[in-house]
Amino acid sequence: MIRFFLSRLLQAMPVIFIVITATFFLIRSAPGGPFDADKVVSQEVIERLNERYNLDAPIHQQYFDYLSHLIRGDFGPSFRYTNRSVTEMIGAGLPITFELAIYAIMIALIIGISAGMLAAVRPNTAQDYIPMSLAMTGICMPSFLLGPLLVLVFGIWLQWLPVSGWGYSPGDKILPAITLGSTYAAYIARLTRGGMLEVLNQDYIRTAKAKGLSTSKIIFKHALRGGLAPVVAFLGPAIAGLLAGSFVVETIFQIPGLGRFYVQAAFNRDYTMIMGTTILLSCLIVFLNMLSDLLAVWLNPRLTLDAKH
Amino acid sequence: MPNKILLPVLLSILLLVGCDLGPSNIESATAKQILHLGNGTEPKDLDPHTVTGVPEHNIISALFEGLISVDPATLAPQPAVAESWVISNDGKRYTFTLRDNSNWSNGDPVTADDFVWSWQRMLSPALASEYAYQLFTVKNAQAFNHGELKDFSQVGVKAINSKTLVIELENPTPYFLSLLAHYSTFAVHPPTILAFGERDQAGTLWTRPGNLVGNGPFTLDSWRLNYIIRVKKNPHYWDHETVRLNEILFYPIDSALTEERMFRTGVLHATSSTPLDKIASYQTNDPDKISIDPYLGTYYYRLNVTEKPLDDVRVRRALSMSIDRQAITDSITKGGQIPAFTFTPPNTQGYFANNNSIRYDLALAQQLLSEAGFPNGEGFPEIELTYNTSDGHRRIAVAIQQMWKLALNINVRLSNQDWKVYLSRIQALDYSIARAAWIGDYPDPNTFLDMFVTDGGNNQTGWSNSQYDELIASAASEADEKKRYKIFQQAENLLMDESPIIPIYTYTRVLLKHPQLKGWEPNILDIHPYKYVYLEDSTINGGQ
Amino acid sequence: MATDSLQQYQDVVFDQGRSPWQDAWYRLKQNKLAIISLNFLAALVVICVLTPWLAPYGYETQNLALGASGPSAAHWLGTDIHGRDLMTRLMYGGRISLMVGFAATAVSLVIGVLWGAIAGYVGGLTDTVLMRIVDILYALPFMIFIILLMVVFGRSLLLLFLAIGLIEWLTMARIVRTQVMNIRNQEFVSAAIVTGLSHWQIISRHIIPNIIGPVIVYITLTIPSVMLLEAFLSFLGLGIQPPQSSWGVLISGGVETMEEYPWLLLFPGLTLSATLFALNFLGDGLRDALDPRATSD
Repeated sequence: MIRFFLSRLLQAMPVIFIVITATFFLIRSAPGGPFDADKVVSQEVIERLNERYNLDAPIHQQYFDYLSHLIRGDFGPSFRYTNRSVTEMIGAGLPITFELAIYAIMIALIIGISAGMLAAVRPNTAQDYIPMSLAMTGICMPSFLLGPLLVLVFGIWLQWLPVSGWGYSPGDKILPAITLGSTYAAYIARLTRGGMLEVLNQDYIRTAKAKGLSTSKIIFKHALRGGLAPVVAFLGPAIAGLLAGSFVVETIFQIPGLGRFYVQAAFNRDYTMIMGTTILLSCLIVFLNMLSDLLAVWLNPRLTLDAKH
Repeated sequence: MPNKILLPVLLSILLLVGCDLGPSNIESATAKQILHLGNGTEPKDLDPHTVTGVPEHNIISALFEGLISVDPATLAPQPAVAESWVISNDGKRYTFTLRDNSNWSNGDPVTADDFVWSWQRMLSPALASEYAYQLFTVKNAQAFNHGELKDFSQVGVKAINSKTLVIELENPTPYFLSLLAHYSTFAVHPPTILAFGERDQAGTLWTRPGNLVGNGPFTLDSWRLNYIIRVKKNPHYWDHETVRLNEILFYPIDSALTEERMFRTGVLHATSSTPLDKIASYQTNDPDKISIDPYLGTYYYRLNVTEKPLDDVRVRRALSMSIDRQAITDSITKGGQIPAFTFTPPNTQGYFANNNSIRYDLALAQQLLSEAGFPNGEGFPEIELTYNTSDGHRRIAVAIQQMWKLALNINVRLSNQDWKVYLSRIQALDYSIARAAWIGDYPDPNTFLDMFVTDGGNNQTGWSNSQYDELIASAASEADEKKRYKIFQQAENLLMDESPIIPIYTYTRVLLKHPQLKGWEPNILDIHPYKYVYLEDSTINGGQ
Repeated sequence: MATDSLQQYQDVVFDQGRSPWQDAWYRLKQNKLAIISLNFLAALVVICVLTPWLAPYGYETQNLALGASGPSAAHWLGTDIHGRDLMTRLMYGGRISLMVGFAATAVSLVIGVLWGAIAGYVGGLTDTVLMRIVDILYALPFMIFIILLMVVFGRSLLLLFLAIGLIEWLTMARIVRTQVMNIRNQEFVSAAIVTGLSHWQIISRHIIPNIIGPVIVYITLTIPSVMLLEAFLSFLGLGIQPPQSSWGVLISGGVETMEEYPWLLLFPGLTLSATLFALNFLGDGLRDALDPRATSD
């Protein structure tokens, strides 16, 4: 266990380093600088601003300067929001997006797994078709469609729930969480059903059945652990994707989360902000994928952590 | 099964939380005089000398006040920090008397020295203010900003005493007073700036709540990043008795659709934008909630005159004359926009551009194209129409693409680009036809027409005409309004004859606005001084 | 399309002299829902192929004066804000969406399955390196990547397939890897190694049949997300260019006007949903039919 952690930690270093390096040079090769504006900014002003943000230095120099600041934990100032540091902005947006993602994941897991299990227990019956049709509908309804639809029904027609904000008025967290979670719930339902069916056909389950164990016992004691393997593999990147993908939901509901910063930073060419959010995201992905691999082993004891054959 | 319990539980939570939403912002606003405004994007900063955008302008105009402000209805200059002023006969020397009771929000008096200090800051090369050119009409200001002059005492702004400010100009500039109502010329509080950094240092913490000291009708109360900025009434403001609002909340909202939904559910009093497709339904169902006002802006296409076939004026005119502008404003933009055949919007402070050179005339367009060597579009290369990614621009481009196809039988390829890529392409003249827009900085034809002088920063068409340059230069030194407007008319005719641009329509400002909102006068700059704004229920059952 | 993929499975899975393909086909034919879906999809493909001859209008033909109008005798599904016939645009859009959906999914399938299978089967250092590359690709800022692709290559449909495929294969690789590792560590595989079966025989007889289920499920999830991703990329300027359309583009446009012109969302939405349902039922049918352990109940 400890060996697994240490080795993954060791592997994480080059991963994050490569992400930092590639992103640093990629964003600087995209056309348009952070200070280009609609009304043309004079050359003198651009030069001064470049000087202020160290953009006049040769690119390799900028890179090493950035790294040396980074090692000291300094993500630099935002290029767009002139009186904010990247650390401050991430600090403001991350907790909100994190909270939103937690709710969404909970919704997705609870609904997704139970629907998938229901369907897998009696395949090709109504108990299969109804939850799976709902899941398909969920997949056909990406958040940019579901969000406005929920707002229309619950916010505008029924006037049950607020249509915007985060913690501003009671109940304003419900619609965003459902919007973000439902697509994932649909994915998880499909994957659970597939994984469960796979397992339910395995010999050891048939043996258990033959022994006369009750269905619920078979499912919870034996099948579920194996059947969730694809879900778990999907979950690591999905949670990371959830954090990044919350941009759409945050925009629809005017939520001041990190997702909006992450996407806007790219459009604004806010170099330091892109770097900051990307580094954060890469750490998250490495960590979550590690968790997901760990969980896969826990669910299936036949796997070993050090995948040597 | 867990989901048998789950569903009822979820539903009951939904009902419990959902049933009582409490009064909406709008419903409780009148009693408290709290205004809720949609405000576009998150402001880059709140420093009047370093920012450039409209959202920033809206907030800064609540927090600061210049020497001059404008009348909300007529845009005529009116006293603000300056109580009165005298203009010399040659129009080059302005003497301002500051009012005695004008104070900073910490109680300090606003002095003439504060303005001199602030203008030195704004013009200092190190601050790199993008709006520095607003003061270039002041004597030696440009030289100081470009670092050619180090001694600020030679710049034409002097404090004679603590309440008298004298400004010397390079040229008589009829619109100079309007410039003084622009936030880039406002004063900032020197001790506050110096408490958080150097005078010419940008991006310090002085603009944070608790730190910021201003001289406007409101003070900064809280600033939640990308969420809400709240300002409160300033008791030290000289005219605080006029101010009726207690608070204003500014919401940065990226999506017009979200903003409209917030408006509809009573979160906002007014929006900063309106989705195109909602205009018609508001006009039919809620005409008192939508306002359509003239706006000092032109939507147009740039033509790159340095490349074939657009280097031929006949081709450019043919393209311009085959656009059915009326169909675009009627069926696509739908917000009462005015089809444009000149660049300067009609009634720009009494200036009505008059032009017959460009009109919607398919026969003439076809004839011109044929004279240029492309009868019925034969041999005309496929050209690219570039626009920045936006649904509205796409809709217009799609319509025009089809108009050109039908009228001239030419093929146009549409290409949308990310905003920054679009900007860098336009600046590098790496395009054929490109969508553009210009919003006037001040109510004068000059803000439009001086764009197209040779090598003007915002020209970006490659077009150059020495006669045009001379006309614009002579207008700058002409003090008589009638003669000036005549010169501008000549320039306008020349511009349209040569057609380096295709004007499409004159903007209108289409806003959703709650009937509670009073004292919000329409004007072509879309400026609404908050000191005159208040909330009042018009009917007994007002509100929703 | 469907027959092609069946052919592939036949070639890969059943390389012995027996004819399990007929078995599978027989089993599939028993599944009514799957057969209806197959017919529906086939009809859809035929309509899309014949669209230039079937469509009642041109996809770019405008009628600005008419604007957005609801279903009528002249326009069965109504018109959009430029007064273009929605049914025509749906038919033309289907050509793009189906092409993008299948081609980009195929790209992600090939890369993802190979990558994940190699990582899971070989294990050790190879696994580590391959999966860390996946981590890196997950973390790179997607938006910048798209902007750069556009700037460097301009707008092209081929690029769109590539961009989507390159994004979508990552999760496929992770799922396949976990699945392969699961099976790799089971007793019967160890037994097979002991009895001296070659790697290729183990892969083709034991591994592939066992990962088909999750892979098919994930394909049915990938196709819709690819079609919607196409709309997003087209909006950013990477995909198709106006006046062309796709289902995704029509739906995302329809969302913006769903209160004013509901038919602009309803009909494209229904078309996409029906297609996905069909794909899904067919996928499930195929999975059952191809599963070597499937019981006949």
